[in-house]
This record gives sequence, structure tokens and C-alpha cells, in this order.
Amino acid sequence: MKRTFGALALLFILGVLLIVAHPDYGLKFGLGGKDWQTYRYTDEYYIEHGIEEVGGTNIVTDIVFDYRGYDTIGEATVLFTSIAGAVALLRKWREDDE
Amino acid sequence: MSEDMGLIVKTMARATIPLIGIFGAYVISHGHLTPGGGFQGGATIAGAGVLFLIAFGLSEAKKRYDHHVYSALESLGGLVFLGAAMLGLSVAFFYNTLWRKGIAFAGEPGTLLSAGYLPIMNLAVGLKVFAGLVSAMMAIAVYRRWKE
Repeated sequence: MKRTFGALALLFILGVLLIVAHPDYGLKFGLGGKDWQTYRYTDEYYIEHGIEEVGGTNIVTDIVFDYRGYDTIGEATVLFTSIAGAVALLRKWREDDE
Repeated sequence: MSEDMGLIVKTMARATIPLIGIFGAYVISHGHLTPGGGFQGGATIAGAGVLFLIAFGLSEAKKRYDHHVYSALESLGGLVFLGAAMLGLSVAFFYNTLWRKGIAFAGEPGTLLSAGYLPIMNLAVGLKVFAGLVSAMMAIAVYRRWKE
């Protein structure tokens, strides 16, 4: 019974997502021209000003390390925490030849 | 059952591990110019570590691995990243003062010594990712308790 309900809920969520992804009701894919200016003005700013403001010709690195550096700090922290957790959980805690 | 692979695999690993390392170092050091960067290059170099472990076996890898060194390197990478981010703290966190004031790494955009703290951060993140992935790999490889 619970599993049926869960499957129905998943089906409902899938239908809602399909409607959201439809170009007539929700998201548009392959933006260009005027749509680019309306929906992607932030990207336009990064592409136009990235090289002169940060200096790197790789715009992705400019964004990741300069404009949104806090995000990268968080990402590095996540990596550090996962490595520390993995190493701490996988350490030897009793001798194998007991 | 022996731990290491056969002669052909070991010889090929001897040839390819330096190439993988050089390519990873290239990806890291050119992170501000070409696609890639610290995370990708660090993962590439860690792939060389995985190849070493698989080709030469665990006992050979254990001899060359000291987890104190690797955890210190990972922490050092994180600290260098934070230090580079704090260079322009008088204006703001993550203020690229090396590039804007022209102190160092301030060449023309597109040359290797440009983009202020971006190469430093790429090196730090690459070191951190490499050390972290290798220590996680070694932790998983040493953990072998198949029986209950």
C-alpha cells in the first residue's frame, strides 16, 4: 500500500516536471537573440567583463574563483569533509588476527 | 595470488604515470587560460596514483605513502586557497588585488603569468584534490577485511 502511494507520488512529480519543461508553459531551451538578453543577462555580463575584471581568459575559472569564490570555498570544504569522514570511518579499529 | 599486475601492465604504467602527471600539471597550471583547472587536474593526477596502486600492488604503494604527509598537503592546499582569497582583505574577501594593482601575475590576459591569484588558487585546489583523493584511495585499499 505504501509502495503504491510512493509510486503514484513519483508519477505525479514526473508529470509536473514534464509540464514545467514544456516550452509553451515553462522553461525554454536553446535560448538565443532577444531571449538571451532577457533570461541570460548575467552570463552576458560575465562574458563581456570577465577578462578585463579578473584577467583570466577562461571565463568559468573567472566565475568559480573570483565572482563566486565562496562557492568554491564551500566545495573545497565539502571535499575536505568527505575525505576526512572516509578516512576516519575506514581506519583500522581492531586487529584482523584476533 | 600476487598483488601486482603482470610485466606488460607494469611497464606500461612506468611509461604512462609520468605522462598522466605532466598532463595533470598542465591542466592545473593553465587553469586560467584553457578548460580545466584545479579540481580537474587534481583528479587527473590522482588517476596516476590509482594506476600506480593497481599496477604495482598495495605493498609497493604502502611503502611510498605516508598519510601524515598527505593530510598535511591537503590542509596546506586549503590554507593557501584561503590565504590567496584574503590577499585583498582591505577591500573585500576574494578581491583580486594582485591583478588589479599589478603586483604579481599581472601580465596580459592570455599569458601564463596573468590573472592575479587564479593560478595560485588553481595550484592550491589541485594539490588539495590530489592529496585528498589519494588518501581516500589508500584508506579504501588498506581496508581489507573480507571475512566477518
